[in-house]
Amino acid sequence: MASLADVWRRREGLRALVWLSPWLAGVAIFFVYPLLSTVYFSFHRYDMYTLEFAGLDNYRYLFQDPRVLTSAKNTLWLVIVLVPATVLFSLALAQLVVRLKAGAGLFRTIFYLPSLVPMAAGTITFVFLMNPATGPWNQFLALFGIQGPDWFGDPAWSKPSLTLLSLWSCGQLVVIFLAALLDVPKHLYEAAAIDGAGPWRQFRSVTLPTLAPVLMFALVTNVIYALQYFTQAMIASRVASGSTDSPGSSFSPGYPDESLLTLPQWLFQVGFRDYSMGYACVLALLLFATSMIFTLILLRQFRRAEEAS
Amino acid sequence: MRFVPLAVSAALALTACTLSGCTANKEAGPSLGAQPRPSGSAAQPLPAATLELWHGFSTDAEVKAFEDAIKGFNQKFPQITVKAVKGVQDDQITHAIRGGNAPDVAASFTTDSVAQWCRSGSFQDLTPVIKQDGVDLSVLPEVARSYSSFEGRQCTLPLLADAYGLYYNKALMKGNAPPRTLSELTALAKKLTVRDADGTIKVAGFIPSAQYYENVPSHLAPLVGARWYNDDGTSAIGSDPAWKKLLTWQKELVDWYGYANLEKFRKSLGDEWSAKHPFYQGKVAMVLDGEWRNAMIGNEAKGLDYGTAPLPVADDRPDLYGSGFTAGTVIGVPKGAKHPQQAWELVKYLTTDTSSLVTLSNALRNVPTTRAAMDSPDLAKDANFTTFLNIFAHPKTSTIPASVNSVFNQEAMQTFMEKWEKGAVPDLDAGLKGVDKQIDDKLKLSGG
Amino acid sequence: MSATVTAPPRTVAAPARRDGVRARRRRLLVWIATHALAIALALMFVAPVVFIALTALMTDQQALTSDLWPRSWNWANFAVVFQKSMLLRWAANTLMYAVLGTVFTVVSSVPVAYALARFRFTGRRLAFLLVITTMMLPPQVIAVPIYLVWARLGLTDSLWPLILPLLLGDAFSIFLLRQFLVTIPRDYTDAARVDGCSDLKTLVRVILPMARPAVAAVALFQFFYCWNDYYGPLLYAGVEQDHLTLSLGLATFKAFHSVQWNLTMAATLLVTAPVIIVFFFAQRVFIEGVTLTGVKG
Repeated sequence: MASLADVWRRREGLRALVWLSPWLAGVAIFFVYPLLSTVYFSFHRYDMYTLEFAGLDNYRYLFQDPRVLTSAKNTLWLVIVLVPATVLFSLALAQLVVRLKAGAGLFRTIFYLPSLVPMAAGTITFVFLMNPATGPWNQFLALFGIQGPDWFGDPAWSKPSLTLLSLWSCGQLVVIFLAALLDVPKHLYEAAAIDGAGPWRQFRSVTLPTLAPVLMFALVTNVIYALQYFTQAMIASRVASGSTDSPGSSFSPGYPDESLLTLPQWLFQVGFRDYSMGYACVLALLLFATSMIFTLILLRQFRRAEEAS
Repeated sequence: MRFVPLAVSAALALTACTLSGCTANKEAGPSLGAQPRPSGSAAQPLPAATLELWHGFSTDAEVKAFEDAIKGFNQKFPQITVKAVKGVQDDQITHAIRGGNAPDVAASFTTDSVAQWCRSGSFQDLTPVIKQDGVDLSVLPEVARSYSSFEGRQCTLPLLADAYGLYYNKALMKGNAPPRTLSELTALAKKLTVRDADGTIKVAGFIPSAQYYENVPSHLAPLVGARWYNDDGTSAIGSDPAWKKLLTWQKELVDWYGYANLEKFRKSLGDEWSAKHPFYQGKVAMVLDGEWRNAMIGNEAKGLDYGTAPLPVADDRPDLYGSGFTAGTVIGVPKGAKHPQQAWELVKYLTTDTSSLVTLSNALRNVPTTRAAMDSPDLAKDANFTTFLNIFAHPKTSTIPASVNSVFNQEAMQTFMEKWEKGAVPDLDAGLKGVDKQIDDKLKLSGG
Repeated sequence: MSATVTAPPRTVAAPARRDGVRARRRRLLVWIATHALAIALALMFVAPVVFIALTALMTDQQALTSDLWPRSWNWANFAVVFQKSMLLRWAANTLMYAVLGTVFTVVSSVPVAYALARFRFTGRRLAFLLVITTMMLPPQVIAVPIYLVWARLGLTDSLWPLILPLLLGDAFSIFLLRQFLVTIPRDYTDAARVDGCSDLKTLVRVILPMARPAVAAVALFQFFYCWNDYYGPLLYAGVEQDHLTLSLGLATFKAFHSVQWNLTMAATLLVTAPVIIVFFFAQRVFIEGVTLTGVKG
């Protein structure tokens, strides 16, 4: 009869289970359980005091709530403009730093540092810098004869303003791309150069293929971050609206003109300011479904990368 | 291995807890009126306690005045310490109560949350202790009693009231009398405005934007006598022509300035709660504001020569002249207060003690809510302040009717007005109907 | 510059000196162009911080104007920030959140990553899938039920709801560590196994020393995540000033002193400074750690 110790040694699965158990418990408590009860609450009317069955009322309201469409549009804008702009800008910066012969380390540090600035601080700073009356940004633009808009106060410009903020704090990506670029074997470039390829051709035929997985990963994770976009939009709205953050007046998220309203903010407002917990759960499920789509894309990417290596 | 049972049992406990709705409430005191208490607090002194009091006052002067009022309470009850937390907003109060971290006493500047607080039981119904202690609520004006209770539950008491009227800068008025109708207001605003050739505003006669400080829909509605709700609680905004009148008047004046010019001007203005308020600085001739502005002018812009008047009203509703919007600070004992008895004493003292109310009113220049305080000879009454006492007492003066979705509904209207003044609403009637729909859909969602 | 001179092009044959000169001149121009561009961009990156600093030193009157340069240098603004806010208290709260959060995360995530990277078992792929799914899950999705649980336990109005879950592992950290651990050749662990080491011993004696950069990176990331977190404390920290964290406190500071931009900017600088200082002490770990997140799978 095999001793217990033998079984223990041979059964790797059992040992793995033990090692994984705290985390599995975590997944159960902080993922599976909340997800199930989110589904449960989504069929109820719940204000943290009384719970009553509401059938499909919460789901029906999803289609009546104009802010859902507004926030979906805003999020789509972030996904289509802010994310690619940030990724491409980071890639360009990384390309630039790679080419630097003097002070590459210093430049890397400078480009990286803003990404460490707390988002709350960075956002307040940008709202101030881009304030048309007091900030220097429009003065700087005026040097080039450009009349700057009322950035964070103008619904047409508030999202581009956040994009600038996002470009400023893109250091994380720059460093990632930098490492990937340095990984590209030098001889490939040399070979391409001998074939007479110009910089653009070199980029397309050498850099891009090697970089593709990293780029894809960056793109997808950033799309998922865009779906969660909360802090910057929330603080920008609060700071830019100015007069509305005094007691006695309630704050509606998304200022100006709901142009910065994102689904997570609306969920927060509905759930934790309005206490329509049931409806907040419907919004949560919507958010979950959307983020799952991108997670699946990411997973496929991973599988492909793992099969390749 | 020992992680497994621990984690699993924790998970089970949590699940069971949530599903069965067990409440592991922290040491919350008994609710008010649960224990009979002999009246006459002197006979049986309350045990010592530290009360946490949340309020919305945020400027230094207001905070000090309020803390002085609390000192009066401390002389009466030296064993009770009051720890005041300033600048708290309604949603924070609600959030804390629902999260089980209620303060002992909470005061709110708005009456918007009262319906929701009373109905849900977030604030304790004071009726039993009001009866027990023999407090006579008839000393409160009808309108103040209505905005501090909902569906028969007196879950808050009015602390001080706010009334809204017109402030005008005498120098900028150039001898003109304050307007009595909206068309007079428009004409005078245009006359007093100083602009550059390119439309840049130097001085505005009156800022009609709903985004400007106190120009929120609830304050503007009484100008035209606009109704918010039908009797069944559904929205009346799309069907009451008064709203359309108000918005048309407002848009006409906005367009006269040019929306872009007005926005640029508005954004260049100092903060509403600071000494850089544009009214102090002579940048606007007339503003809609609350009676408390008197106190702020006294503190922050001593030399300002200004006058006050009731707000101008719709041309076809001269009967409304003299009335205005009123609401007020309300104060109550949240559910889960740790020392509800002591909390009630504090609420009672602050809301009914005549000398406390008069002192507070004199410092904050808010309208006192009890008749005794209003009639008190100690109440400082100058002409500018009396205007607001009269507005408050006017029979047509109104408040926004209580609704569980009050904040949401006002925001819906506010958002719509912002779109409207910008010119992003092609069809006003359809737009107002859209606001109706938003409010009614939301009403259905919240089970009303 | 000397580098250009001393390293003549080797790939290009040198039939004529003229070509060499032209190539050298072209490379010099490219050198100048790239560096000029880099300097311009670097200035743009630094400028915001400079303007915050300048504004922080102005009087509140001047901060409301469009002036760029302080007329007088009000160093006292920084002291005023400390007087008017509970900055030190906020820093202490944030530090508690960040330190406990980091320790818990590392302690709980390393074993999980180790098991995912080293053990062969059915469902291994599924487990990894679960890691990625939870990593990508927007925190708002599960916010409502989780909040209700913490409220029932009476733990809202504190930072514990943000700290305690980290005892059960953090998906991002697990992911990162796992990605690093799979790159350690199996030979090392196999050798340890032959020597009769238990799993725990293998982890502590063999794996951890090799994984030090990854662990350091995870710790740093978690520290910064907690330090900068705004959403979490907004949901749980409550309203009292002495419960806030730096990010949250900064936002409320702005609300209370909305016109005093000089003070807000001084506070912003004070909140940001520790992060920057830490960076300069741990620069290498940072850059290596970020590089790890770029994972190619």
